[in-house]
This record gives sequence, structure tokens and C-alpha cells, in this order.
Amino acid sequence: MEPTIKDFESALTELDTIVRKMEEGDLTLEQSMELYERGLQLSRFCHSTLETAERRVELLNERGEVRPAPASLGLGGEGDGERRR
Amino acid sequence: MSDLFSDPFEEPAGDVPPEPPRRASRRVITVSELNASIRNLLEGQLGDVWVEGEISNCRVWNTGHLYFTLKDDGAQIRGVMFRMALRYLRFQPEDGLRVVARGQISVYEPKGEYQIVCEHMEPHGLGALQLAFDQLKKKLQAEGLFDRARKRPLPALPRKIGIVTSLDGAAIRDIIKVIRRRHPNAHLVIRAARVQGEGAAGEVSRGVRALGKVDGVDVIIVGRGGGSVEDLWTFNEELVARAIADSPVPVISAVGHESDVTIADFVADLRAPTPSAAAEMVVAAKEDFRNRIDRLQHRLHAAARHGLQQRRAAVQVLSAHRGLAGWHARLAMQSRRATELEHDMTQALRMRLARHARLLQALRQRLEANDIRRRLAVSRGRLGSADQRLRAAATRGRDRADARLRVLAGRLENLSPLAVLARGYAVCWNTDRTAIIRSAASTSPGDHVRVTLQDGEIRCEVLRRSDS
Repeated sequence: MEPTIKDFESALTELDTIVRKMEEGDLTLEQSMELYERGLQLSRFCHSTLETAERRVELLNERGEVRPAPASLGLGGEGDGERRR
Repeated sequence: MSDLFSDPFEEPAGDVPPEPPRRASRRVITVSELNASIRNLLEGQLGDVWVEGEISNCRVWNTGHLYFTLKDDGAQIRGVMFRMALRYLRFQPEDGLRVVARGQISVYEPKGEYQIVCEHMEPHGLGALQLAFDQLKKKLQAEGLFDRARKRPLPALPRKIGIVTSLDGAAIRDIIKVIRRRHPNAHLVIRAARVQGEGAAGEVSRGVRALGKVDGVDVIIVGRGGGSVEDLWTFNEELVARAIADSPVPVISAVGHESDVTIADFVADLRAPTPSAAAEMVVAAKEDFRNRIDRLQHRLHAAARHGLQQRRAAVQVLSAHRGLAGWHARLAMQSRRATELEHDMTQALRMRLARHARLLQALRQRLEANDIRRRLAVSRGRLGSADQRLRAAATRGRDRADARLRVLAGRLENLSPLAVLARGYAVCWNTDRTAIIRSAASTSPGDHVRVTLQDGEIRCEVLRRSDS
């Protein structure tokens, strides 16, 4: 029923457009309700995409396989003790 | 053999007539022998030569060897450079180019020709690297690979960031550190590649191509830390430039320091002065995004609320009209939906529960009603109490049950034996009134029976029996 969301970027752009359209007013109630619901959906999507992107470091080998990077690389290691989500 | 033929212009012609050669000194050799000795002489005596000249008639054959002529104002010599040697040249020999070539003179006996077999060549004046750089730059530029129109924007929030560089250098650590700081939960896919020395260009270009195929990778950083011009040379190679140009996703080049400019920088969608800078470019700070989304969300709510408030006022006027009652209800419902959208799920659940509860209640009531009817049917004695309950039910507004109960009560009335007797029927009993006589066959003439009528009983004797 709802159109799908392509990616973070298009969601953000669409949200921006919707907000502007609503701020201009001049819409029927149905239109503004639809826009509002879509807007909520988009902003939730953006938030969750931002928060749930996977924190991962991987290595792509010569055979085209993607494997977790060894911890020995010290990647994401010392000094950036950010909390995990 | 005549003297004429065996005695070529050995002596300068002059006043003195040529002295007839002495027989003993005359030695005739074949052309093959001559060319062989020329060959020995040239190849043996000259050895390695360095020669300076301008290249012309330059052509690479499909064998991979390069043939050319080297010339100056007064002379020229043919030259060849074999594929194996050519491989090590960083620039492309071309017509008009002044070079210094090192090689050996070689004689091709079957044709009596000699040429220089070049082992190395360097451009006169410019350094070879500079020339190679200029040549490749010119070539790729002519192909349009540096065009501004080709440059693609980076994704706002990359799903996966591809990185091609050496795992040993500082570059990879710098990149990861910066990305982590700006966006702690970024997803990185790294392709390890040697970034200098023989074969490095192949590894880097394969890495860029491979990362472009990884699902979800939507931007690639390719580069290395600082070094000498030779160290950075990999990023001036055509292989690397082509891989970057062919990449299906935007590429950021990040080679050396600010002042280092490579061919890769020209082809890439974005040039970062250093690997750390590339990391900064590839992902905006997470906080910036979060603030932006929050602001948009806030404006969204505000705009919706404002619109609703305006309409609510209009609705209040409209709702005065009776004909618009339904419209008003719809608006009210939608307005509630808007303000409570966040709780839609729980709301829906609660409503479903409530509906189930109501259903349950209705079922229970129907069960009770059934119970009443059954009990009423059993005995007349309890009819009164049923009546009472019926009345109670009726006062609670259950008209339907009431009506049905009345019908049932009427039917019970009809079934009562007294009512039957009133219509003229009689009941025939045995003498001690313990059993009803239902069959003529169960009596014999002379038997005594009792007969109950509407208003009393009579005792009778069977006179005759006639079975029907």
C-alpha cells in the first residue's frame, strides 16, 4: 500500500519535500494526512537506518569472499571506546 | 676471373696509375663471409652504445616489439626494442620524441643491414616518469575520463564503504579511525593490495573492480600514505586509472599528501588530499544526520498540527449543520488518528480485545437464554419463575427473548393435560390409577377402568372390545 523506500538518501530528500509541502499548506485534509503518515514513516526509516547500520570491518579476499577482518588489524580498537548499540 | 672484378676501388684514383696487385695478396671472399665479418666487427667492437636522436616511423607490431628509426640532422639508423624490454618503459615512445637509447648494434646478414637493438630508452630532457605522466594524462583526458560530467556524487549515508589499500601502512588505520569517530556503526569492506612495486597496479586495479561488485558497497576509497614519486607511481598507471573509471560506484582517490597529484586523482569522482581526508568526506558525522532528521520530524509534526487546528475551527462551524454530522465524525476520527498515530498498534490491539470481549459477553447471554428456555419446557411448575425472569429479561430490553418465551409458554399451555381434556378428550386409567390404558387390546370385557374427564372421574366396566 505505501510506496517503498529506496534508501536513506532518497528517504531524506522525500521527507524534506513533504515537510516543505505541508508547511506551504494548501492541501486537502486527505492529502495532508497522507503526507503526514508518509513523513512519519520516512523519518522513522531514516532514524533506524542511521542507528542500525552494522558496525563491521570485513576483508574481501582474492576469491571474492568477504570475511570478518582479523582483530589483529586493531581496527576500531583502542581510543574510540564508543558504546555499542 | 678478371682483374677488373677482383680489384675494386681499393686505391684512390690519382696521378699514379694503380699498381697491379700482387697475386699473393688477393683473397676473394663471399658476401656471406663479408657480412659475417662486418657483423663480428660491429657487434664485437662497438658493444653497448648510448645514442641520442629523434624517434620516427615508430610502430609496435603485433608481436609486441617496437620498430622505429632514430635520426638526427644528418643520419639515421633503424632500431628495434623487443617486447620484454619495452615492458619496463614507463612512457610511450612516439614519433618526434627525442630520446637517449642504450643498446647494441646488430647486423642482419641476409640483408646486409644493421640496426640498434634497444634495451633501454629515456626521454631527453624530461624525466621518464614525468613524460609518462604527461602522456597518460593527455590520453585519458582525450578520452573524456576527466570530464566533470562523469563525476558522481557520493551517497549521503554509505551502506558499505569499500577501501583498497595496503594493510601494512598507516593509511588504513587513519581511515578507520576517522570513520569510526564520525559514524561509529559504519560498515567497511577492505581489499588488501600492495600499493608500490612491481605488480601493485594490478592488485590495486583488481581490488577496485572486485569491491565494485560487492553487494551494498556504494563508495570506494583507493589510496595510500605518502612516499616518493616512485612509491606513488602505481596510482599513475593506466590499469589503475581504467579500473577507477570503470567503477560502478563513486571512487575517492586518496594518495600521499596534499601536494601529490596522480592520474588516479583526475579519474576519481572525488580527490581527497590524504587518506584521513577521504574518511572525512565519505561519511558525514552521524550527529549531523540525526539533527537534520529530528528537525524535519519536528517541522512535520508542527505543520500537521497547524493544519488540523485550522480545520478544527472550520469543522465547528460546519458541524452546526445537521447534514454534516457524518462528515464531522469522520474528521474527528481522522484527527484522532493523526495525533495518535504513534500508538496505532496498541490501539488496534486494544480494540480487537474489546471486540472479543463484547462477543464473549453476547455469547454468554445467548447461553443463558437457552438455559431458561430448556428449563421452562420441562415443567409447568417453574413457569412462574421463568416468567419472572422473562419479565426481567424483557425489562432489560431483550424483546426478542421475551417474545420467544411467550410463544413457548403458549405451547406449554396447549400441552397441559387439562387443556386437552377441556377440548373433550378423556384419559383412561387402570383401576388403581397407576397406568394409562393406551390400547384397546390391553383390556378384556369385564375389566374395570377409570376415566378422567375435564371436571371429574367416572368408573366404567368394559362391555365389549372392538379392535380397530
